Order: sequence, then C-alpha cells, then structure tokens
Amino acid sequence: MTAIEPVRHSPHVMVHFCSPDRRYEPLQPIRIQYQIELSAGSTVQAIERSILWYTEGKGEEDLGVHAFERITDGATIAAAAGAGAFESHLPPSPLSYEGLIVKVRWCVRVRLFFEGGRDFVSEHVFDLGTVPAALSRAVP
Amino acid sequence: MRLPRFLAKKRGDRRTGAEVWGSVGDALFHAILLAAGMVFAGLLLTGVAVPEWRINHHFLAAQGTVVGKGLARRAASGQAASTWQPCLRLRYTTPEGPREAWTLRGAIVPDRQAAITALDATRLGKPLDCWYDPTDPETVVLERGYNWWMWTLTLFLPGALVAFGGAGVARSLTAWGKSEERQAAAGGRPHGGLAAVGSYPGVPPCDDLVNSPGTILAFRLPIDSGESWALLGVGLFALLWNAVLILLAVNAGLDLLGGQIDWLLMAILVPFLAVGIAGIVIFVRGLILSTAVGTTQVEVSDHPLLPGGRYEVLLGQGGSGTFTSLDMAVELEEQATFRQGTDTRTERMVVWRASLGTWTGLQLAPGTRFEGRGVFQVPATAMHSFASEHNLVSWRVVVRGRPAGWPPFTRSFPLLVYPAPPSGTQHPKAEVPS
Repeated sequence: MTAIEPVRHSPHVMVHFCSPDRRYEPLQPIRIQYQIELSAGSTVQAIERSILWYTEGKGEEDLGVHAFERITDGATIAAAAGAGAFESHLPPSPLSYEGLIVKVRWCVRVRLFFEGGRDFVSEHVFDLGTVPAALSRAVP
Repeated sequence: MRLPRFLAKKRGDRRTGAEVWGSVGDALFHAILLAAGMVFAGLLLTGVAVPEWRINHHFLAAQGTVVGKGLARRAASGQAASTWQPCLRLRYTTPEGPREAWTLRGAIVPDRQAAITALDATRLGKPLDCWYDPTDPETVVLERGYNWWMWTLTLFLPGALVAFGGAGVARSLTAWGKSEERQAAAGGRPHGGLAAVGSYPGVPPCDDLVNSPGTILAFRLPIDSGESWALLGVGLFALLWNAVLILLAVNAGLDLLGGQIDWLLMAILVPFLAVGIAGIVIFVRGLILSTAVGTTQVEVSDHPLLPGGRYEVLLGQGGSGTFTSLDMAVELEEQATFRQGTDTRTERMVVWRASLGTWTGLQLAPGTRFEGRGVFQVPATAMHSFASEHNLVSWRVVVRGRPAGWPPFTRSFPLLVYPAPPSGTQHPKAEVPS
C-alpha cells in the first residue's frame, strides 16, 4: 500500500557562480546570477541577496555578512523575483576552513519574503582561499 | 494550514526554520521579566518608597508629649515565637485640635524583657518632636529620614529586572521579521554591493602582540593570562568566602559567650570552614607554583606571521634548580563555545603541532636564565588566526616544563598568523617598538 504524500510547492532558486568550481581567491571579484521558480499564486514582497560567511561545528553559529542587499520596491522585485545578478569583491579573510570542531563556510543566500510573513532562503556554498582541511583527528 | 517549525534544518541548498517563533519565545520570556520587574517595583514603591517620601515631605511637625507606653507584639500565624517593639502614646496638637495616637519607637526584638528595658528609657510626660499626616492626623511618627539600604534594594532589584527584560523586549522588537543576514548587516558589518571591508575581517587584532620589543629577537610575546585570571578568581572567592565565614563565626562566638548554642549555625559552620580552608590552600598553592618556578619569556623574530614564512623563536626560562625537561612547540588550536542546557561550555582541540626543541637535565642558577632557540615554518596553506564570538582558531607557542620537585607546568604565548597574501599584494607589517 502506497501512502499518498502531500505535494508541497517550494520555490526553487538556481544559482550560477562566475567561477565554475566555486573557488575564489581573496579580493577576487565574484558575480552571481540566479533564477527563481516560484510556485503558482505566491507573491514575493521582498528579496534579500547576501554574501556571507558562517561557522559550523561544535560551537554556536557565528555569522559575518560581507555584502547585503534588500529589495522591497515593487517594480524592482518584479524584475528580481524572476532572475537577477549581483556582484562584489571578496574580502581578504576569513578563508574557508574545514577544521575538526570549527569550520568556516562562505555562501551566497537568496531570501524571499512572501505575503503572510513566511520566508524561504536558498543557500549556495563556495570556497574562499585554498586552506586544506585539518587532520582527521586531534594532535595528542 | 501550516504548523510552525520549531527546529531549524538545512535541507540541501535550502534552510528551513522558525525564526519568527524563536523571536516570539524570546520576546515572551523578556516580557515576563519586564512585567515581574514592574510589579515588583510597584509594590516596593507603594509599600516603602512612597510612605517614606510622604513622611519626609508632607507630614507636619508638632510637639508631642508621652502619655502612655506599651509593647507591640507580632507573631507569625501558626508560630509560638513572637517579636516585640516598644510603642508610645503621644498627645500633640493639630490645627483641628488636640490628638492622641500610638506610634512605634525602637527596634523589633525577640526578647520581651529587652523591649521593656528599651521602653523604660522613655518616661511619661517627656516632650518629643513628632510629625503627623495632615490627611490622617491619627498617623504620627517620631523619626524622619531615609532608609538608604531599602531605597537601594527598591531601585536595584526591580531596576535590574526592568532593564534586562526591557532590553530583551526592545531587541526582540528590533529584530522582529528581520533575517539574520539583515540583522548582521545592520550590526555594523559591511554590506551592500562593493562594500569596503576592514583590514582582515575575522582575524583578531594584533596590537597587544607587537607592542613589546624582545631582548634578542624582534618581539617579546605576552603570556596567555588565562591561568593568572583563574588564580585571581580563586583568590577573590577565598577572600569573600572566608569573610562570610568570619562573620558567621563571630556570631556563633557571641552566642557561646552569652551561654547559647545555635546548633544550626554550628552545623553550617563546619562545611563552610572546610570550603574556606580549601580555597586558601588552592590559592596559596597556585601562587607558589606560578612564582616559584621562575618566569618564562618567549621572543619571535617577526610578527604577525605569514603562511610560508620561516621564523626564529627564543625561549628564556628563569628560576633556579633542576629542570628534568623543557619543551617548546608551536600549536594550532581550535576552540568552540556552545550551550549545553543552561551551561556554556568550551571545547579545545589542537589540530597541528611543530616541536621547536626539547632540553633535558637543565641546571638553572639564580640570577641567570636558560636560553633555547628554535626555528619553524608556517605551512604555506595554513589557516590564519580566526576569532568570532563563539569560535576561535588560534596559533601559539607552548612551553611545557618539568621542574624537579615541583609539578609540571604549561605556559602558552599567543601568535597571530595573517591569511596568505593574495598574489601582487603585500601585508602591512608591524614595526618593532623602540
């Protein structure tokens, strides 16, 4: 017997980085193009586009925003809610890092705000710098 | 209808969560604290502050005469023990005519005889200055002034609740409906298009690491003062604990001199004494260990360090006596701070280490110091020093010693490693202070 699962229509955000392998050097320019597929009937009230780093691992998550843009103007939203692009120059630090209990990740986020207060965020990770991952276990 | 999500999850390139519900909970918690503070403040104001203020500003002065004496007895419901307070019946004149009313005078005491003795000090017919309430002339007092201790409590306790709760509510309202990126961007971090960034975001400042010249190499590194602060904390704890202990002991001693033994106080004193002695022992032992072994100094040929760079490190160890071994290494440590229940915990993990030298069988003479040198190269692809609110990636020189006759010690000296310079750019270098 097969259970009937409800179909939930979430928006779909496709992101294209100017560097195909998503690896960037510090101070390098970054350009992101994106396409948004909205579910039928949903109305976007605001869009936020940001480039940021955040920490992962054992500790509480910390966050640093490098570039941030919020679009609330109706005409601009109509254009940006279908497809758009934004760019920035990356900072010299912090570099992406895959540690044992501390990890630093860079990402691009596109956040959509809908009528009724709900929001949807799409996150796309990239690497800044070429720091190799830490050893697989701690030094005794 | 969609139910709210109470847990944040990362699903592929999507993040789902309940930031709104988290904000509701946070706002509700702080609103409860704010409301409790305001209720508490209202009770203290109406019960303590306002009556005292009225006595000092609205009550009218009069000349009273003592026409009667008595004791006010107070007993808690269901308890046999009572307390006693002397009270006087005063006759005084108001514009509406002569009045007579009882008023309290003197301290509340548990001993009835002591209250009677205090009452005997005031004779009938004695003239006394008094102040009566013009709106209720039967209310009269013999003293004016402010109880500053009560006022401090009145302001401090509810004030702390109102400030903490109010700040939390304001923070929740400010963050209401805002994404974490927007909040972070509004918090002073660079945002918007081609944002101008600081020198090295996420890299801790190095001002305190390059302001001390070395005796032989360019910079002398400061010692990581974590142990010193811990020792100071133990010392303060021992001081405060033993001060309380002395107060309790004096009370117990006075009871003994008066022929009474408060067994509950005695029972409390025994564990208090044990903790007090343990505090002193731990502090004195830590003080002796930190001073008897001799100072350790570390100097480095350049600072901040760069990936791929080769650096010389000098170890200077003072003191006297024999060292079984002395070891110097460079380490890269990760540190993560997280909440576990109501506790905040910090976990550390060394992920890279390079030995700079090990020396054995050292014989140190007073007035001289042992000097050892080491050279190391920061890996070209090494992670730079990184610091955020809850996460840390830190470089340091660690010295581990085994002095004969003393417990082994570990002392660490922070280093700062910059990110690798992008091709075609140069890092700003620290100047050697003169």
